[in-house]
Amino acid sequence: MEWKDVLPVLMGGLVILVVALVVKPLLLGEPLGLVSGPVQMQQPPVYVPPAPVSMPTPLADDGEVYTQNFRWTAIDGGVQTTQVRVPEALFLAHRETPRFSDYTSWGRYALADADRPILEALARRIAPPTANPDEGYFRLMNLVFFVQQVPYDMDDNMTSYTEGVLPRHAMYRKDSVEYPKYPVEMLVDGRGDCEDAAILMAGLLDALGYDTVLLRYSDHMALGIRMNEFNPYYAKYTPKYFEHEGKHYYYIEGTGFDREYFSDNSTRFWGRPHPIGDAAGTDIPSVKSETPQIIPLHYILEPGEYRIRPVRLLAGGA
Amino acid sequence: MDPDNPKPSGGLKIPRIPDLKIPKIAVSWKQALAAAGTVVFVVVVVFVGAATLLNYTEDQRVAAFGSHVSASEADLFQVYDKISTHMRSLPESSSVAETDASVREFAAIAGYGRAVTTYNRQIVAADTVPEAYLGVQSAYVRALDNLNRAFSLWSSAAAAYDARAYAAAEENLARADEAWREYAAAIEDYDRELRAAEEGREVPLA
Repeated sequence: MEWKDVLPVLMGGLVILVVALVVKPLLLGEPLGLVSGPVQMQQPPVYVPPAPVSMPTPLADDGEVYTQNFRWTAIDGGVQTTQVRVPEALFLAHRETPRFSDYTSWGRYALADADRPILEALARRIAPPTANPDEGYFRLMNLVFFVQQVPYDMDDNMTSYTEGVLPRHAMYRKDSVEYPKYPVEMLVDGRGDCEDAAILMAGLLDALGYDTVLLRYSDHMALGIRMNEFNPYYAKYTPKYFEHEGKHYYYIEGTGFDREYFSDNSTRFWGRPHPIGDAAGTDIPSVKSETPQIIPLHYILEPGEYRIRPVRLLAGGA
Repeated sequence: MDPDNPKPSGGLKIPRIPDLKIPKIAVSWKQALAAAGTVVFVVVVVFVGAATLLNYTEDQRVAAFGSHVSASEADLFQVYDKISTHMRSLPESSSVAETDASVREFAAIAGYGRAVTTYNRQIVAADTVPEAYLGVQSAYVRALDNLNRAFSLWSSAAAAYDARAYAAAEENLARADEAWREYAAAIEDYDRELRAAEEGREVPLA
């Protein structure tokens, strides 16, 4: 046998190698040769940022306004008065806004951006800024007393609305009507029920920088204010607080001001406000017996788990 | 014609069988060795070629799978970049408009995460891997599935927030956390399966 006889065999082997290393990878789209590398792939998806939202048209400064006068007894026993002016366009816009059926989102009413300038101005008038930090408590109590003395009125009572009729977005429950008001709605109406008072108080306190939550009972709503420790020497009760995310929120009643008029025709009255933490003094059975649902005003979507776990890559992985 | 002495009519003489002789082939030792060597060479070439081709194909598949996992991880870390930036920017208390904008960004990240996990899941699941790596592939695909579910639940939470159904949003976030923990468990399975595949042993039960 000579070399010319061996040559075809070698050529056959060469053809096999060419098929394995070149032709097959080309057909399957794999990399050529013995060195393995990353496979060419189509581009992965890209992040698409959210579209910017157009800002709402600012209300005209020269439009019609609602004017409401308030008169209340401050913490020092003095009678205070103030006037609140609310643009009619803002009030009507709120009246035309559908209500949220889920209680957990009612903090949005208190924080409504459009109401904020009015609430900030009102809070400054009721509790003027002071350089003395010891007066912080009096500022807080003046705001609380102001809201407590806004007359109470049920949602299904037409006198609760300045128009004298039930707003079109009132929600009909099993045996009642529910209409949580935006803060300026309660200010224009000059009255409201427990959730309206809690929402107005939350908006005013938030404007002053206090951290508050709504406390929802089966038939009542009140406010919780965050305090590190509240146990004044004069209190003849144990201040009631609820814990939420490691913070203490003390009970504040928004309604139920014990109002007594001096005479049938008198506009002068005396009353007893509810201090902070006095849950037992409200005479509301659910407040005495139930643990309320805590509704934060500021709700943000915050997942507990979001970390990507790195994996060990295979040999040959890029 | 006489059968013992066949003589065809043409006069050609056909030899009798017993008279036939095997032709003599002269084979030298050198020629014999060359022939044997050629046979051995052909057998070796065929054997080595087949083995090389088989190994090469398996290595190629593992390498392709590895590069797909690597690309998927790179994509996931881009998503994580967005998530961690978003989580760091969450304000303790902000206006309603700022919170709404933050939720819109959260929804966009959830959509991005969903798209990335769907895309990489298709690629990784389509890989044909050697039997030893089937467990590795299965665990990684499961991890991507759980992550995809978590991102879908994030999207649902954002939609519930838009509908002002905060209780439903919280519920979706809680379920997303659960899916995320299942993703972490699948990644642990993946690491264990990979160690076993590389060491060529049976995978112990988790």
